[in-house]
This record gives sequence, C-alpha cells and structure tokens, in this order.
Amino acid sequence: MQLRYVFTELRTGLRRNLSMHLAVILTLFVSLSLAGIGILVQREATVARDSLGDELKILVNLCTDDDPSHSPNCASGEVTADQQQRIEKEIQDNDEVRSFAYQSKEEGFEKAKETLPESSYTGPDPIVTAEGWPAAYWVTLKTPERADGIISALEGLDGVSGIKDQRKALGQIFGIMTVLKYGSWIGAGFLLFAALLQVTNTIRLAALARRREIAIMRLVGASTLYIALPFLLESLVAAIVGVALAAGVLAAFQYWGVEQALSDHVSFLPWVDWTDYTQALFGLFPPGIVLLGPALTLIPTLLLTRKYVKV
Amino acid sequence: MIRFEKVTKRYPGPGRPALDQVTLDIDKGEFVYLVGTSGSGKSTALRLVLREVRPTTGRVHVAGKEINRMAGWKVPRLRREIGTVFQDFRLLPNKTVAENVAFAQQVIGKSRREIAKVVPETLELVGLKDKGDRMPDELSGGEQQRVAIARAFVNRPMILIADEPTGNLDPATSVGIMNLLGDINETGTTVVMATHDHGIVDQFTKRVIELDHGKVVRDEASGSYGFQH
Ligand SMILES: Nc1ncnc2c1ncn2[C@@H]1O[C@H](COP(=O)(O)OP(=O)(O)OP(=O)(O)O)[C@@H](O)[C@H]1O
Ligand SMILES: [Mg+2]
Repeated sequence: MQLRYVFTELRTGLRRNLSMHLAVILTLFVSLSLAGIGILVQREATVARDSLGDELKILVNLCTDDDPSHSPNCASGEVTADQQQRIEKEIQDNDEVRSFAYQSKEEGFEKAKETLPESSYTGPDPIVTAEGWPAAYWVTLKTPERADGIISALEGLDGVSGIKDQRKALGQIFGIMTVLKYGSWIGAGFLLFAALLQVTNTIRLAALARRREIAIMRLVGASTLYIALPFLLESLVAAIVGVALAAGVLAAFQYWGVEQALSDHVSFLPWVDWTDYTQALFGLFPPGIVLLGPALTLIPTLLLTRKYVKV
Repeated sequence: MIRFEKVTKRYPGPGRPALDQVTLDIDKGEFVYLVGTSGSGKSTALRLVLREVRPTTGRVHVAGKEINRMAGWKVPRLRREIGTVFQDFRLLPNKTVAENVAFAQQVIGKSRREIAKVVPETLELVGLKDKGDRMPDELSGGEQQRVAIARAFVNRPMILIADEPTGNLDPATSVGIMNLLGDINETGTTVVMATHDHGIVDQFTKRVIELDHGKVVRDEASGSYGFQH
C-alpha cells in the first residue's frame, strides 16, 4: 500500500484541526492522569490492607520468649500449644467474630519488613528478627463497631501479649482512600466523556473538510481502511500524546509525591511502588491509561468513520 | 458486462419506485445512451451499477458478478473497474490537473513509478498534455470535464459511466467530449451515458435505452433521442 498520501493527509489534518486536537489532548491528559491516580490509590489501599489489615480486623499477638510487653500473660515465656489452643477456641466461639487466620512468626516478620527501615533487620545483630517477632491471629469482625466482647475475653488469657486494635485509624485512612479513588474516577469519567465528545466533533469536522476527497476516493475504489486511516492516525496521535503526558505526570507523582515525600513522612504505611505504577499504565482491570486513552479515541473514530466513509 | 434482472429500486418514503422491474443487458464494448425525462430513473440505474445503492428486488450483474450480493469489502475492487464522470466534474480545487488525475491512482495504492508514467499518457489522450500544472479553476468547463474523464480512465476501467457529462457544456464543447468518449469506447471500454442532450444523441448515433417512470420503454440498437421535453 502506498502510504504517502496517508501521511500527507495526517500532517495536514493535524495542522488543520490543531486547536481541536489540542483540546482533545489536554482533556485526555487530565482525565487519564486522574484515572491513573485513582488506580494508584486503589493499589495503595490493597497494599495497606495486606500489611495492616483493615477496619474489620484486630491483631492478637501471642507471647514470645522474653516478650517486650512484659505482660503477666507472658509469665511462662513463649506461648505454649495449650495456651494457643485455648485462645483459638475463645476466638472460634465468640459471636462477634466472622473469621480468623493464624500468622506465623515468619509471615509477620516478612510483612513488617515492608514498613521497617532496612537497618533494623539487617546486619550482624539486627534489632528485629523472625524469632523475636510474635506469631499472631488476625481476627475479622462481623461489624467494625462490635469488638469489646472478644477483646475483653482475650485480654486476660495466658499467651496473649497484646491486642492491636487499629479499627478507628485504619477506618479513617481507608475512608479517605475510598473517597479519593472514587473522586478521581468520577472526575476522570466526566472528563473522558468530554474527550469523547471532542473526538467526535473533531472527526466530524475533519470528515467535512475532506468530503470531496472522500467522495472521490470511494468512487475510484479506495478501500475503506485506506480512507479511514488518516482519521484513525490523527486520533492515535492525539491519544499517544495524551497518554504520554499523563504517564509523565503519574511518574512525577510516584517519584516526588510518594517516594520522596509520603513514604518518608508516613512510614507506618507501606506505599505503592513502580510495579503499581506499571499497573496503572498497562493494567487490564481496572484498565490502565495506555489502554484507556487509545480505546477512547479510536473506538469513536472507527464508529464515526464507518458512518462517514461507508462505501 | 452489465445486466439488470427485474430490478426494482424503491427509495425510502412514499411514491412509485425509481426503477420498476427493469431488465437490460449491455455487452462488453458497447456505447449506450440512457435517456428519459427528469426523474425517470437514469441516475438511479447508474448508481446501481456502482453499488452506491442496492436494488429493492431483482439482481444487478457487473462483469459477471452479482454485485447486489457482494460483500461490502469487495465493493472498492468493483469500483476500480468502473470509471465515473459527472455533469459537475467534481475535481479537487486545491490540486493541479495532474494531481487530480494521479489522486485516483494514489488512493488505490499504485506505485509512484506507474503514476509518473500513466498520468501524462492519460492527459495526452484527453488532449491536455501541456496543462498538467494548471489548477482546475484556470480551465474552461470543457477542459475540466476532460480532466474528470482522464481521472475516470486513468486506471483503465472496463466500464465508463457518465451521468450527463455534457450537461454544463455548450454544443461545440460537447462534441469534443463526445469524441473523447468515443475514443475511449474504441479501446474496448463499455460506455454508459445518461443524457438529456438530444442534439448529441441524434448526432452520435448509438444504442438508446429510454426510461419512463422507472420502466424501460424503448431499447434501440441505433436510436435517436426520440422525444421532446
Ligand atoms: N436519494 C434519493 N432518495 C429518495 N428519492 C430519490 C433519491 N434519488 C432519486 N430519487 C427519486 O427517484 C426517482 C428517479 O431519480 P433519478 O435521479 O434516478 O432520475 P434521473 O432520471 O437521473 O433524473 P434527472 O434527469 O433529473 O437526473 C425520482 O423520482 C427521484 O425523486
Ligand atoms: Mg440524474
């Protein structure tokens, strides 16, 4: 296929509708950035939940040898099998509890490493070791409001060094994250809709400007794809620029916002990393911006050119 | 080359059909006039050949293919076998004469080398050898129609369709265009021409098919215009 015409048309098309294309690019850029931030927040919520549990969970730490809590429950040192059985039965029988899971020393230690400074668990004589880390039960409640029964039942049991109840704090954090996530997605949704309308208008104008050429191309037997190609490429160029700008903004957000600022100041939370950034770009569900941008410009372009360019 | 079998074309809306049970057969290399009063269905017949429209009932065959049942993606191939000329020329005003002709080759993917060879040949054939660099609005109506014919013929189609090609031209210029269409017909190209121009039809005697209210009312091997209007 001889594509010289296509590229000439692409160039003149981009120039002819420059202001329209800029509008599409800017709208797309802002909406994709928002969509991407929504994805990062969603990932952040997942990361945080994995490591800290959520507003439905309380953590029941079991005694270690030489337990730092110095709780009277730990008088006998490391929790014994008997004690553990009693604790587990107590959790099982409590009607505030939906489910529970055991977390071994090693599992707990691995999770903790994500938020602890590296120096604390490396080196010849680390402060934190798997051996010194408590095994624990994650107890999932039926409702976040009711936990008094289970807490008072477990508090006095031998072998329980302490109960971590972060329902309030975590509930607020996840609440904020949910608002941020849906807020940015709703904003992105409106702007993407605006981008869609702009694409539609751009195509309509471009088709109008080219209607003589299109009529003749159809008449002399140019293929539909060939006729549609300049339109598709115009949309694709707009999409690529929009996606590239949004990817840049997200990278800047990840680098300066998360890595340089948030993760230093808010160190009790694990933070999204570059894997999550990649997910925001290329993920399938929710769709990353590299999929979203071209899809939102190419699909309407295809539908509209089918209408205007129909043989 | 072109065959209509009981073709009826009804446009949306009330009223009688634009074509009504039309059956006709045009052989390879023929030159045929399509005559009839305004609204008799001439343009509709031509658009059916191009598959710009599809028949409501009946069958249209072009070059041995039943084109009303042809898949949409094959239609461009069909159209490459058909050149088309209109009363209003339909040239691209921002391209030179040579570029207008070359456009018909470019967009179906012909190589630059072939275009460089065939476009000047075709311009010479239509008598515009020295005017390739002119813009369309610098040409007379007759010359513009020659450019349109060059564009229609540059891919050497089997069929040339002309819808009132002399409709905007004075009689002397029309004669020149008819001579050109005659030359193209001589090369073996089938020519179908819808026209109101009785002077031309009576002067260049060819087969005449007359339509009236969408029906074929006359089909003469070498006819005359035959009615007043
Ligand atoms: N796109 C259309 N939609 C609806 N009706 C149409 C359409 N095109 C043509 N018609 C109708 O079909 C009939 C035949 O029209 P057609 O253009 O084929 O006639 P024609 O013989 O070419 O006329 P003219 O000599 O004026 O060009 C007319 O009654 C016309 O109004
Ligand atoms: Mg007509």
